[in-house]
Amino acid sequence: MRKFLLSLLVVALCMPVMAGAKKKADRDTNQFRYEIECAGNAIQGTYLVKVWTYSRKAAVAENQCRKNAVHGVIFKGYGGGEGCVSQRPMASDPGVETQYRDYFNSFFADGGEFQKYASIMPGTTETVKVGREYKVGVVVSVRKDDLRRALEAAGIIRGLNSGF
Amino acid sequence: MKKYIFSIALALVALVANAQIKKPGLMVVPSDVWCISNGYYTEVENMGITTKVPNYKQALQENMGLKLAIAKLNDLMAERQFPLQSMEQAIKNLEQQKMEDNMTVSKAGNELAESPLDEVARVAKCDIILELSWEMKDFGPKHSLSYILEARDAYTGKSIGAASGTGAPSLTADVDVLLEEAIVANMDNFNNRLMEHFTEMQTIGREITLDIKVFANNAAGVDLETEYNGVELIELIEEWLQLNTVQGRFTMPYASENVANFTQVRIPVYDERGRAIDANGFARQLAKHFKKEPFNIPCKVLVKGLGRAVIIIGEK
Repeated sequence: MRKFLLSLLVVALCMPVMAGAKKKADRDTNQFRYEIECAGNAIQGTYLVKVWTYSRKAAVAENQCRKNAVHGVIFKGYGGGEGCVSQRPMASDPGVETQYRDYFNSFFADGGEFQKYASIMPGTTETVKVGREYKVGVVVSVRKDDLRRALEAAGIIRGLNSGF
Repeated sequence: MKKYIFSIALALVALVANAQIKKPGLMVVPSDVWCISNGYYTEVENMGITTKVPNYKQALQENMGLKLAIAKLNDLMAERQFPLQSMEQAIKNLEQQKMEDNMTVSKAGNELAESPLDEVARVAKCDIILELSWEMKDFGPKHSLSYILEARDAYTGKSIGAASGTGAPSLTADVDVLLEEAIVANMDNFNNRLMEHFTEMQTIGREITLDIKVFANNAAGVDLETEYNGVELIELIEEWLQLNTVQGRFTMPYASENVANFTQVRIPVYDERGRAIDANGFARQLAKHFKKEPFNIPCKVLVKGLGRAVIIIGEK
């Protein structure tokens, strides 16, 4: 009985700490603090990007790289160089992020739809300590054709064929 | 009552279906520079000057890289619901047409009324020409491919956008592999520019070129300086264009008593009945206006595709 009560106490004490960590992770990533760059020529229908994410915890930053990669492809675009071709953001109107806030809140929520369009390339993680936080770089493959089709279907962006 | 509602619904559906803008036709052609630097050209003597004219048929028959590039571009555009028109088929149709018109075509071949590209574009009835060129460059053992894809309005000649770049030096010597890589990497940027052009067309109208000509010694005895209530015909045409173009947008780079050229004419995409119109439809509206009282001018409208129209006044 004592053991059971002790276990219960430990769990009860840990819960706020875990919740705090989760909140922290959300705060770090909700701001979409990241850098995105081209990571080479990808196969047809995908972009290969390297995303550098900032967080006080390296593991949190690594987890958020997929989310940031998809966000970057939709809203930021990225520069080229050394044989890489620069790409403009998929959403040509910068106002769509606020215009469709509800859609994107659900799209980028933990376990949200964004996961379908990004996969981490194994063995590509780089971690750099910058001041009191970590900058974690991961190469992510973004299925941009599927992503574009989903955004077109949701009416967020216009298809090349729209209006004809 | 049910029948009445059904009829209204059907009419609305028909109206929405009609309100679609005509989809521009796109066709890939190798650029003049590419054709000439790869030896796909014929020399034509025109008024004592030898000119190199691209031989598209030879290029398509002999260059596998070109066929591959066109197939790849077609694949990528079809994925965006914009399949390309086939240049090969257009050339075949052109040859067929030439055979039929053989009696009227000069066999000496030294008077080019149209460039080979104009001929192909006319027969294919394409609106946007995608000019493609690429070149391999060597950096020691490595090779790199420079690539340009430029979209041009087939009728106004205006550049719509381009995608270009040089790939990273690679040990792969296979030009086909590097070309495919370059096409795939540059296609989204290219389509973004096409999209901007289409959006512009849908918001400020379709850009067309309008030429007005006069039949020499016509029976009606009119030219562009003929006066109606003290106003010259050319001024009346300008007035009509001012009222009927989108935001009164047009320019008149040249006008004489026999010819007037109007460029950058922005026509509405739909007419007052909600039907899609092109240069031909717009020219017919103008011709209709001057065929009526008090002008009674006989006019002939020549069909030149979606972006260009010619009205010849004086006779039918």
